[in-house]
Amino acid sequence: MSILTAMADTLTPGRAAESLCELSTDVRTAVLLDAAGSLAGAGGDGSEHARAIGELARQLFEEVDRATRDWDTEPPQQVEVQVPGGAVFASRTPRWTLAAVAKRGALSSLMLYDLRAVLSELEGGPPIRRSRAADEGTAGPPTEEFAAEELPMPELGE
Amino acid sequence: MKEKRRGPISRAAGLAEGVAATMRRMQREREPRVLVYDPAGYARLVQPEARGHERIMELAEQMVAGMQEPES
Repeated sequence: MSILTAMADTLTPGRAAESLCELSTDVRTAVLLDAAGSLAGAGGDGSEHARAIGELARQLFEEVDRATRDWDTEPPQQVEVQVPGGAVFASRTPRWTLAAVAKRGALSSLMLYDLRAVLSELEGGPPIRRSRAADEGTAGPPTEEFAAEELPMPELGE
Repeated sequence: MKEKRRGPISRAAGLAEGVAATMRRMQREREPRVLVYDPAGYARLVQPEARGHERIMELAEQMVAGMQEPES
């Protein structure tokens, strides 16, 4: 029972794209591809076209790599393409590629941050903490220790 | 030095300038473009005449078009 409870909190590849759609209302559809370029998950309105969107996302990074091959920089980790009807954002790690089709006017910095956050969680990073309304109550006692745990502050150097 | 007091017309003009600047910035941000980000988060523009730019735009347009609502 406790094992199942713990697993429910873990972000799986199948849930990652859906999680991105839940994070941002500007995302219309999202797909997750594995290192081989195969579809590992989809979310949003376009989940029925997921395979096609996934294939286009795979080609998108291929073209980006081709376009930036001669650049004296590291391979791009994220891509943003603004087109008349909307925007495409994609982010990758050595294992995963997460791509999203967003509404026109979606904030680039937020979109890119959300993509990175979901991929980081998928790679075993800390889970994304969603804020709760004050009237939803808290999971623990209203103590300073609990508040510190809820809002971890970055530690400064020794 | 004390700043000169501005009248209501001057204040309204200042407000309108601010709105116009915001609109221009929003429009500029939505212009078709391809940006790539390195692992440190630094953005670099893929120039329109660069190799692959056209194809990248084409692929993104296909992805967005796949999500367009059918016109009734």
